[in-house]
Amino acid sequence: MNLFQRAIRSCFRKPVKSLLLLLVVCIISLLFLSGMASRSANIATQDSTRQAIGAGFLLEYNPESRSQRLEEASQKILERNPDGQGSYGGVHLKNVTVMGSENLMITTDHSFESLKADDIEKIAAVEGIADYNITTVPTAVKQANFERIEDADADQTNDFQGVALIGNRDMSMDANVLSGNVTILEGRMTTKDDTNVCVISEELAEKKQLKVGDHLQFHSVKAEEPVQEATIVGIYQVKEQMKPYMSGDTYRSENVIFTDLHFPEKVEQDDPLYEKAYFKVANVDDYDAVKETIKKTDINWQWYDLIDNNGNLDTMASNFNDLEKISNTLLLVVTGASFVILFLIFIFWIRNRTNEIGILLSIGIAKGKIFLQILTEAVLIGVLALALSFLIAPAVSNAAADYLVGQQAQQAELQDEMDTGKVATDYQAPELTVTDVETEITSTMLLADSLSVGVLIVLSTGAASVLIFRKNPKDILSEMS
Amino acid sequence: MILEAKNVLYSYKTKRDKIILKNVSATFEEATFYAIVGSSGSGKTTFLSLLAGLDNPVSGTILYNGEDIRKKGLNYHRRHDISLVFQNYNLIDYLTTEENVKLGGKKDAEKLLQEVSIPREDWKRNVLQLSGGQQQRVAIARALASEAKVLLADEPTGNLDEDTAGEIIELLKKTAHELGKSVIVVTHSKLLAEEADKIYEIKNGKLCTE
Repeated sequence: MNLFQRAIRSCFRKPVKSLLLLLVVCIISLLFLSGMASRSANIATQDSTRQAIGAGFLLEYNPESRSQRLEEASQKILERNPDGQGSYGGVHLKNVTVMGSENLMITTDHSFESLKADDIEKIAAVEGIADYNITTVPTAVKQANFERIEDADADQTNDFQGVALIGNRDMSMDANVLSGNVTILEGRMTTKDDTNVCVISEELAEKKQLKVGDHLQFHSVKAEEPVQEATIVGIYQVKEQMKPYMSGDTYRSENVIFTDLHFPEKVEQDDPLYEKAYFKVANVDDYDAVKETIKKTDINWQWYDLIDNNGNLDTMASNFNDLEKISNTLLLVVTGASFVILFLIFIFWIRNRTNEIGILLSIGIAKGKIFLQILTEAVLIGVLALALSFLIAPAVSNAAADYLVGQQAQQAELQDEMDTGKVATDYQAPELTVTDVETEITSTMLLADSLSVGVLIVLSTGAASVLIFRKNPKDILSEMS
Repeated sequence: MILEAKNVLYSYKTKRDKIILKNVSATFEEATFYAIVGSSGSGKTTFLSLLAGLDNPVSGTILYNGEDIRKKGLNYHRRHDISLVFQNYNLIDYLTTEENVKLGGKKDAEKLLQEVSIPREDWKRNVLQLSGGQQQRVAIARALASEAKVLLADEPTGNLDEDTAGEIIELLKKTAHELGKSVIVVTHSKLLAEEADKIYEIKNGKLCTE
């Protein structure tokens, strides 16, 4: 009777022992598969989240590089002008006498402070960018044919006594709109083809009896002429009051008027002052590739910050990265715990077989062949357990993934609750809920699972066998008696 | 001379200073029934283990057909040169009666079971369902299944009643005298020892012939 025949008889004629091992290996295999399936499900969720919030990049000036740019421009002026006075790149140096002493005064204009239109165009031309938006800085202007909303009790001494214009190439990609804070109540948003149009707040429309189609007139803070006229194309509402750009009623949320991109500069009679640019990615699956291409664009990146998807993606992704971490931790814990559990089971198993091992040794069967018989039994049971786990894994992994995602969604909800009321005009997380997660057990996962379980079985059988096989046959037979 | 112990010295690995067997020498012939007797702890079973190749002596040699058993390996010695019968039968619990006999070697298991008087209806039953005497007969049948010329038995009647023990003794005698094997039995039993052709006694670690 060879070892395979003995192994098969042992498996089937000692069913309790075999069923115990079958159950343990099946559970280990299920945990492995669930962990792997959850990990891949997380990635899918991450991608769908990007799809939902729209993948994009925000371009802003890096505030830390401003002083360096100022220094570089001043240096150029000093090199070109012996008296140190002059202009370069929107920076102006001028001698002024203060308290009897002469000093160089540095001033900047919009051409220095504004994002460079050329750089924006270069990024917009990158393959994979579907569309883009440019947003101006909130520009204080004076209203000519209507009244703004005022707080009668507020001190308006240093206020411009005007309203704030925010120009957008495409208002649907304005930060306030993307964040979900600003939505259209009536009419429409401004588009890239618009000229001399605006969108006003519902409060301003209501209090001052303004409606879509009305014409609003503005002039600059410095001069009452020329007057520019914009047609109201929409009325917006906010969830949270937009944070004022500066103090005073000019910048209060209700007095913010969204316009087409070039209207603020017309009113101000100055160069444009672009504060932000947003680039929308055509295909979210290409997000990372597009990001890499943008970084290779020939512009001075020291001046700029490229922010991933307004920062929202980082937040969303971090939640799901946590989920991936949980899956990875689960896999590690399962591996460690499985080894310990299998090791203990095999020690128990082999100790109970001391009698059999002693008998086989006494009839001249080599230790190696006896170990091989025990390993064959473990592998036979392992194969059955794997087959069983493959059958029920899809249902279990779905349940496990749902549970893990449910936990994450709960955490995200808690975070949202904590953040309520903190957000104003700046970008904020959109309201997203994870409604469904699909997990898939792939052939690669089955292979990885089989290999992992196989290695665990061989290692734990080997480790447990060492404890008895290092003894000589006489000692084993003594233990029997 | 089929088996020989030559100047065998043995002590436990943990207590090297306590000598169990002191330069023991003995020879064993085919077709002879030997009994090894001695008080408890005298080293009888240890001597049998050394003859069976279950352990190595500290010094001295065990020779089979004039050749040191370590030369071909102790596994080989146990598989081909000797067969063993134990006090507590030592049968594999998940095998049938017949399968346990087949485990011992290639000889016809059915014939052997008939020879040791195991009823046919018990051949396919789990071996643990047999009585103690029957289990010991199965153990002897397993030992006879191999081609080995030496049968070593450690207290083969120790767990059996007097009648059954008598049957087993007869079986062992038959094995020696009819099958021509060298049967070496370690025993406390006077009844068994009296039936032996030759008796060795181990006393104070030394072997004496009675």
